[in-house]
Amino acid sequence: MSPESGERTRVVVSGMGVITPIGSDLEAFWQALLAGRSGVRRITQFDAEDLPCQIAGEVPEARRMARASQMALAAAQAAVSDAKLGLPLANPERVAVYFGTAIGGFDRAVEGVEILRAKGYAHVNPFYLPSAIPNMPAFHVTQHFGALGANCTITTACATGTQTVGEASLAIRHGRADIVIAGGTEALIRDFTIGGFASMRALPVSFNDQPDQASRPFDAKREGFVFSEGAACLVLERLDSALARGAHIYAEVAGIGTSSDAFHIAAPDPSAAGAIRTMAWALQDAQLAPDDVDYINAHGTSTPANDAVETLAIKRLFGERAYNIPVSSTKSMLGHAMGASGAIEAVVCALTIDRGMIHPTINYDYPDPVCDLDYVPNQPRKANVRVAISNSFGLGGQNACLVMRAANRFETKRGDHGDGRVEAGLG
Amino acid sequence: MTGTTRPDDQRVVITGMGAITPVGNTLAETWEALQSGRSGAGRITLLDPSPWDCQIAAELKGFEPGRFLHVKELRRMSVSSQLAVIAADQAIEDSHLDLDREDRDRVGVLLGSAGGSSLEETERAVRQLMAESGRRLTPNQVLRLWPNMPSYFVAERHRLRGHNATICTACAASTQAIGEAAEVIRRGAAEVMITGGTESIVSETVLAGFLAMRALATSYNQDPQRAMRPFDAAREGFIPAQGAAILILESLDHARQRGRTPCAEILGYGVSNDAFHMIAPDPLGSGATLAMERALASSGISADSVDYINAHAASTPLGDLAETRAIKSVFGERSYQIPINSTKSMIGHMMGATGAVEAAVCTMTIQHGIIHPTINYEVPDPECDLDYVPNCARKATVQVALSNSFGLGGQNACLVLSKVERE
Repeated sequence: MSPESGERTRVVVSGMGVITPIGSDLEAFWQALLAGRSGVRRITQFDAEDLPCQIAGEVPEARRMARASQMALAAAQAAVSDAKLGLPLANPERVAVYFGTAIGGFDRAVEGVEILRAKGYAHVNPFYLPSAIPNMPAFHVTQHFGALGANCTITTACATGTQTVGEASLAIRHGRADIVIAGGTEALIRDFTIGGFASMRALPVSFNDQPDQASRPFDAKREGFVFSEGAACLVLERLDSALARGAHIYAEVAGIGTSSDAFHIAAPDPSAAGAIRTMAWALQDAQLAPDDVDYINAHGTSTPANDAVETLAIKRLFGERAYNIPVSSTKSMLGHAMGASGAIEAVVCALTIDRGMIHPTINYDYPDPVCDLDYVPNQPRKANVRVAISNSFGLGGQNACLVMRAANRFETKRGDHGDGRVEAGLG
Repeated sequence: MTGTTRPDDQRVVITGMGAITPVGNTLAETWEALQSGRSGAGRITLLDPSPWDCQIAAELKGFEPGRFLHVKELRRMSVSSQLAVIAADQAIEDSHLDLDREDRDRVGVLLGSAGGSSLEETERAVRQLMAESGRRLTPNQVLRLWPNMPSYFVAERHRLRGHNATICTACAASTQAIGEAAEVIRRGAAEVMITGGTESIVSETVLAGFLAMRALATSYNQDPQRAMRPFDAAREGFIPAQGAAILILESLDHARQRGRTPCAEILGYGVSNDAFHMIAPDPLGSGATLAMERALASSGISADSVDYINAHAASTPLGDLAETRAIKSVFGERSYQIPINSTKSMIGHMMGATGAVEAAVCTMTIQHGIIHPTINYEVPDPECDLDYVPNCARKATVQVALSNSFGLGGQNACLVLSKVERE
């Protein structure tokens, strides 16, 4: 049952699925992360010979719908199956879908323009325009599961995935849904997106022959982020219903904070004020204090500016304790999948809490004096993580921070195995 | 929780509005035109319309962003961003909000659009790349693509550091954004929200895409102002449009503290998805029905309280019929007594921005007691037999208005607005 009256509805993660450059099976993905395996390779989706940056984190395979929609649906199928939700859904009007993407069916948008220019508009496919717009990943997931509840597509650049999972948890907390299929997806690896970001000097250009070393967050030789793609989906539900149906609970989604830097379209505010207030608001929403935080999944893009400002923000908020909190960057292995990254990193936080392991930040070879925290360099680490926060900061000054915690944090009597897990049926 | 029993810090009101539409470059001009039934449709000027089956659109008239924005800003901003920023300036001015007296950490921005500028900017980029057979875009070109940029530019201009988001749920986007913005205030995450929508979809790829879907009106190229004819038997589809509308939301408490009389209250909203088809609406309108029922439930009012419906009514054969059916299933016999109009009959369809314009229209309707007409209603469709306020504006006391928005990908959103009673 629900916690005593007066307490708010608690929201937990009971199923997860990922589609990433290092694995599209949750277990394989997690093992690859712990092993520190990079998913960055030379680009195969087009000939990148004449581009300054020729590497990316590509997902092997895909077709039919826009690439972003395919990956969203595949991740959602994996998550719903992992959650062991029966199909057809028992109460579809209470099942919501929140799926974010920074841009959406970009491949279809480009293809549409190319066909229009080359062959004339009579050759344009009726599904071109709808496939291209950002809400189609959510639609395909909704239609596949017949989820008739609330429905939302949030688009906040690189903060999208984090903000979407957070807003999805609020939909349950405020009684607008019992279950939310929530996630993020992105597929933007194109010649001109890479060309464009290269001209902004946002991408690494010295690692075309060592792709797996290109994404090196917090390292002194970091040059920029590596373009990536992928999707992740989390099944969120009420704690009481997850316990009642004996679901495995990975973690609780405890709080969300969002803000705008209102400072610069592409660069972070060097004072780190935006990142600081966002983390603080997220902890406040979770009714936790900075001292409760055991692990930070950093935005950690491997750009000189982000990693320095994020480090500063962590130091300002956590004070001396900042040096004792393990901070790792999932993007060191996956690259930056824009609107999908936050959702992937929410999955990582849930697994970190569930498994008691922190994955490394790989390619951490040359310490940068301004980035002097514990980034879990190159080796995974055992740790009892009760509270994890996940940062995402995006173009257009978007900031989002998600707080996840062990679902049994305040329950000492039942279901507490002392290892951060609440076992099936014990609620 | 019902609208009437909410404490005042949970009651969210509209205290300022701005709009740029094909019938007016301000909300006042727009409202004036809508009351007199003036259409904003015309032959397309933004591109050469001659090769197209649909040669008409509802474009902005005499809109000069350069009067409000520096040339450097214009270069950084897509048309959608320009519209959002200028409409936000209007709305802030209208609200008499003194941002210097607000905590800017507690002022947020939440806008809706179908794709923001991403379709037109992708088109521009790809066209340039194909012409020059190069692969280099400028940083500005890359950044204009992102749908969250209108929200960014509004936040940047006024240094608004609070909650910030963009909702992209196709043609339902800004209705949903306004509903969510009210929720952000209710849950205490902001004191003031700047919300609404922006869109500019008069471009070759959008024309090509909608023509391929057979969604546009194609028989009215010689008579553009008759093309948008919601609920009329000869309706064929919509025409693309451009525009933006921005609303300032705050709690009733906050408005009172600064001595501002609210324009209207946001009672609640509902969303759903048809889970039926990427393009076509569910013919029974069941998703639309769910959205309206949820909106009423979240408002704490019954269907009997609704005095007026601003319909989605995009003039498509299937959409208008499905909406009529949905209204009948929510309101029963009473649906014949509720005045229903279509703002799109005059402003065309600006996808994600239309809902925000329609929310502003509902607010004006509540304030002024006038329901604008649905124009071009000439030949009755036996299946669309409700009171669509045909062709002539009507005086009416409207306490509670409901605004529908339905979109591609089965998106449905419905917003409930009401008069704020003076005590």
